[in-house]
Amino acid sequence: MNLRVVGANLVVSIKSFYRERTAMFFTVAFPIILILVFGSIFMDQDNVSFDLCVQDLDRTDSSAHLVKTLKLNGKFKITGIDPAIDATQYVNDNKVNLVLIIPKDYERSFNQHIDTDDLSTSVTLTCVYDPSSSSVSTKMQILNAVFAVINQEMSGKPPFITTAETSILTKKYRFIEFFIPGIIAMAVMTASLFGTVNLNTELRQKGVIRKLSTTPITRTDWVLSNILYQFILAVISTIAMLLVGYAVYDVSLQINAWLPVFIVLDVFAFVGIGMILTRFVKEAQSAAAAANAIMFPMMFLSGSFFPIEMMPGFLQTLARILPLYYVNEGLRAAMVFEDNMTALRYSAIIGVFAAVVFILGIIATKWEEGK
Amino acid sequence: MMNEAEHVIKVEKLTKRYGDLLAVNDITFNVGKGEVFALLGPNGAGKTTTVEIIDTIRTPTSGRVTLLGMNVTKKKHDIVRRIGVLPQGFSSFDRITVRETIQYYSRLFRSRNTDVDGLIELVNLKDKTKEQYMNLSGGLKQRLGIAIALVNDPEVVFLDEPTTGLDPRARREVWDVLLGLKQKGKTVFLTTHYMEEAELLADTVAIISRGKIIAMGSPGELIESNANYLVLTLQAVDEKAFDIVRKLGFEPVHDDHKNIKIRVEHPDDVQKILSANQDAGASLLSLDVRKPNLEEVFLKLTGEALREGPSGGRRAE
Repeated sequence: MNLRVVGANLVVSIKSFYRERTAMFFTVAFPIILILVFGSIFMDQDNVSFDLCVQDLDRTDSSAHLVKTLKLNGKFKITGIDPAIDATQYVNDNKVNLVLIIPKDYERSFNQHIDTDDLSTSVTLTCVYDPSSSSVSTKMQILNAVFAVINQEMSGKPPFITTAETSILTKKYRFIEFFIPGIIAMAVMTASLFGTVNLNTELRQKGVIRKLSTTPITRTDWVLSNILYQFILAVISTIAMLLVGYAVYDVSLQINAWLPVFIVLDVFAFVGIGMILTRFVKEAQSAAAAANAIMFPMMFLSGSFFPIEMMPGFLQTLARILPLYYVNEGLRAAMVFEDNMTALRYSAIIGVFAAVVFILGIIATKWEEGK
Repeated sequence: MMNEAEHVIKVEKLTKRYGDLLAVNDITFNVGKGEVFALLGPNGAGKTTTVEIIDTIRTPTSGRVTLLGMNVTKKKHDIVRRIGVLPQGFSSFDRITVRETIQYYSRLFRSRNTDVDGLIELVNLKDKTKEQYMNLSGGLKQRLGIAIALVNDPEVVFLDEPTTGLDPRARREVWDVLLGLKQKGKTVFLTTHYMEEAELLADTVAIISRGKIIAMGSPGELIESNANYLVLTLQAVDEKAFDIVRKLGFEPVHDDHKNIKIRVEHPDDVQKILSANQDAGASLLSLDVRKPNLEEVFLKLTGEALREGPSGGRRAE
């Protein structure tokens, strides 16, 4: 390895990057856009409200009170429906997925239940729903919870089971705090993999690699130059993502020595994979396809966007053999949970992986042409 | 001839196969120190394969190649420091300027005393030092490629088709640079399919066809030993002249400009043809008698044209 040679490559790469404005824009902008989009989607999850259509056939004070109780719950934006309309027809025509029907004799049954203490009287509220809609089950659960509370209160007895929450974390963390480390890991992976594959196949197609093969530069110099360059890009985009995280979402993430450690390992691993891919694909287009084939499973299965617990068992097992999983979880351990032992364990796993693909990457890099 | 010690390139029984294709077939030749050696042949003859084996880009199937006294397959690392290469279809980093590109390659060779300005001057790129590679014309790119091939002050320079794809003016400008190298006494190994390039620049020309070297020598020697005839070119007013020549027993042909070209064995034949035309009243606009050029030698030796297309094979002037 020769530092002067690695330095010369680095200067050329950085100048090219700086002069290619669109590449520069996307390196920084793409992860930021992801954070802003996903952040906005998931940040408001706590105060999300559902549309609820209510058809009040009873039109009495008691039924109006019930509707008010639902409104006060805060989870519903309530739309009243004309009693004359057929609810099933309404669901079909208006693309709503749930209509709650309060029956005509609601107040009478209610009064009978309260006044005469006749515990056998009950009232049935009908839900007309579209089962193909994914939010219906959530709405029904919330409705049932609200009704359970009302029923319990009407019984006049205090509830027997109550719950108290004790979080293992000293602080309450929000989704965005789990999300940003995953996006950092993913953005660094994407940039390293694509950057390496694109640059190397392009230089090979243009014949620059052939020229380089007639100079004293070694394969190790070349692969290391690629890694250093991608590391610099990774640092730039990570800083940009963290700045957005702090400025827009006021995240509380721990910035410690683990962050650069995981970024370096992430870069090593995926530049190494990129080098191996470059060896086996001939043209730039097929190289991009091959890089995609590696990137997408990593992106969606390794827990960058959502916790792997949401996936079926066999996919969880699969996630645990993906290198990006260890970067994701390692970064979270370091930045969110401040769990040094987990960070250490995961950095060791991804470190071994990175070392292996780095060496394979050097071996796979080919200067000589033809058979 | 040169003695053994002065040969900087020695190629013995070199063969290269790509699967079933025999690209280079058992060739042997030497290149002396300070010599400009041109490997001349049509596309697909094996020029690039040969030069890329000698300058360590490819490996041979069999045979032995020695460069500067070192075996090219075993001493690549030592060899590359002492040679300069302009590969076929040379290309560089799009957004890096002329000066930066030269500096970059100079750093790869770890040469601290590269005369960047001298190189820029040598290839005549003084006005373009701040131009990015992607904005250079084909000729300028090639000249930059030659400058890069010289950053380590190499003992042998390899130029693989340095003027292919350039327009005549750009080609001439590259030739000027190459003539400058020749004057400096560099050993240059050149491949080309331009006859005039070989004639103008080379001390020794090796003609390669279908992986075999079929003739070798100085351009003059090649013409002398392979063409003991003269080429008579007539520009005639009408077609009558063509028939008159044919009736005399010669085999006239039309060239690209509808001139009549006749191969004659003896100077007396020229007189015979002119008299016959005069007697028949066929007036001539011009006539030219000359020794055949390398193109014609090549045609005679291989039976194939050096380049395709109607513009192929004319002399530089």
